[in-house]
Parts: sequence; C-alpha cells; structure tokens
Amino acid sequence: MHIIIIGCGRVGARLASLFGSAGHSVAVIDKNAQAFERLEPSFKGTRLVGIGFDRKLLMEAGIERADALIAVTNGDNTNVVAASIAIDDFHVPRVVARIADPIRAGIFAKLGITTVSATLWTSAHIYELVVSPELHNLLSVGSAGVQLYEFDVPNLIVGRKVTDLTVTGEISVVAITRRGASFVPVLATTFESGDRVLVAVDTRSITKLRSMLGLPS
Amino acid sequence: MQSLCILIVGAGKLGRESAQRLINAGHRVTLIEKDPHTAEDAREIFGEQVIQGDGCDPKVLERAGVARTQAVIALTGDDEDNLIVAELARRVFSVTHVLARVNRPDNEWLFTAKRGVDVAFSPASVVTDLIKREIDRKATGL
Repeated sequence: MHIIIIGCGRVGARLASLFGSAGHSVAVIDKNAQAFERLEPSFKGTRLVGIGFDRKLLMEAGIERADALIAVTNGDNTNVVAASIAIDDFHVPRVVARIADPIRAGIFAKLGITTVSATLWTSAHIYELVVSPELHNLLSVGSAGVQLYEFDVPNLIVGRKVTDLTVTGEISVVAITRRGASFVPVLATTFESGDRVLVAVDTRSITKLRSMLGLPS
Repeated sequence: MQSLCILIVGAGKLGRESAQRLINAGHRVTLIEKDPHTAEDAREIFGEQVIQGDGCDPKVLERAGVARTQAVIALTGDDEDNLIVAELARRVFSVTHVLARVNRPDNEWLFTAKRGVDVAFSPASVVTDLIKREIDRKATGL
C-alpha cells in the first residue's frame, strides 16, 4: 500500500515505522524538518516539509495513488482539513484523523471522517483499569455501545457451560483461549480452570456480567 | 439592509475594524478571540461583546450565541482554523451566511461552498490582483 502520514510527531513517526517495516510505501509530511529526526534511521520512505493540507505537497506525496492517509499532527483542525481533502477531493480509500477534542471528534465522525480521539480512548481505558481490573477491556465497539472484555475464568464458573454465561442480546462469549490455543466455543462448551475468556457485552450489562462472575460491583 | 446578528472569529486588526464598521451600520456583533491579550485589547473597545476562547470549539461558538446569528465571519490568521469555523457554522449550526479569510493564496482552492464557505477573500490575492491591474492599466496607457 502507499500510505501518507501527516505529522511526524511521536505517533506519526511510530506509524511510519510500522508501515515501513511491513513493506508499505510511506510518505511523511511535517511542517518542521527537524521532526523527521524522530524517524528511525532505517526508514526508507519519502520525507516532505510543508503544510499537511497543501495541495501541491499532497500531490508530491502521491495522494492520487494513496491507499491511506493518516493525519496525526498536533492540530485537530489541520488533521480534519487534511482528512476531508483526502476523502472528498482525492477519494483516498482509508482516512484516519486524530482529533484530541472529544466533542469535535464526535462532530467530525458524524460528518464522515474516521476519527481517533486519544483523550477518549485513554480516559476510558484508565477508567476501566481502576474500576474493573479483573475484566480487561480490550475494545470499545463503535460508539461504545458494546465492549469486548477478556478475563481469566474465576473458580465460580469452572465446570459451568458457556450457555450459563450467555444472556441473549446482552452477553456473548466470543472466544476461549485454553492452553495456548484459541477457539470459538459452542453453547455446550464447559469452562475449565485456566481458561481465558473473551466476551462481548452491551455496555449497559457490564454490572450483570460482573455479578455473574462473582466480582464486586 | 436589515440589522443582523454577526459573529466574528478573530479579533485582530481586521476583526476589530470590521466589527466597528458593522456596529456603526447598525448590526449586533460578537467577537471571539483565542489569545487572552488580544481579547483583552478588544474588550477595551467592545466590552462584553468579546468572548475569549477558541472559535473552533463548538462549545465556545454556542457560548457566543452562534445559534442566533445570521452571519459568521472567520478572520483568524490560520487557514485551517477558518475552514473549521466555516464547517461548524454551516454544518453544525446552519448559519445562513459564512465568510472566511484566506491567509495563504495557495489555500484558496479549499474555501468552497462544499466546505461551508459562501464568500472567501484573500487580502494577499486582492493586493496582487490590484497591482497587476494597475500595472496593466498604465502599460496600455488607459
């Protein structure tokens, strides 16, 4: 793939490495040449100095053939403008913009830009770590209506079946990892000591899951 | 022209001069300015009509009464900010008239109706065009 990354801060530089070492063609844009010092010496992609939504620069970066554009500068507004150009004017298939402000992230997500708000993710994750240490929150699905949790099987449910932990429309056991191997269980699958379980839970049913697992709420 | 409620984002010289003229013409003007010192300067002239805050933040726009305005004018020194103000004014708050300043002529192509801008103006382009016209005029002896 050909990837354009706008903003060579910590996140941009890291993404450049990830894509570069996976063999993709990468062009990085930053308005400050010094930012490229963050890139690993092994980085073989293109470095361009300039403003991330400058048309000539984007063309030079190969936006016409880009498979993805990632806007991760420190400026929410620059990221949104660059993302909207990629989507509307150049029809880049995958576009992600980092927007720190949760409210603006919500607004622009509704206007069709895939947004990542570190503020939202980080605060949600830390909240979970404090409130729910036994349940490891892996993923917030969509706009946080569904959560994916991973946990070690408590003694309380060893010997019980997946169907006992299943609540239609609310709690669903998605995968079990047992002795290093993962599989998708059936309702009749029995929980064994040492199992690591992945469940999908409606956010409103998390307290129910906790009580079914014998965890304090 | 009827009296309008106008919101100007950016209380630099251009914002202040424009606000004054619009007030003299009988309109109600509110200014939003991000920089505390600039906002303070503007307050000395316009008092409570100046809101200190980021005009690209929907909450600040709401606080400044964007819902009641008929026109939003984005006059900051950063094109990306002006574009976001326009986008929010048009798509989130459905403001009737949206005007935006273009700081870098290379960015003019972005200030389109699709991005929420009814009128875009670029002081740099205006100056360049005027000079060209003046030179042509003298050259053809008109």
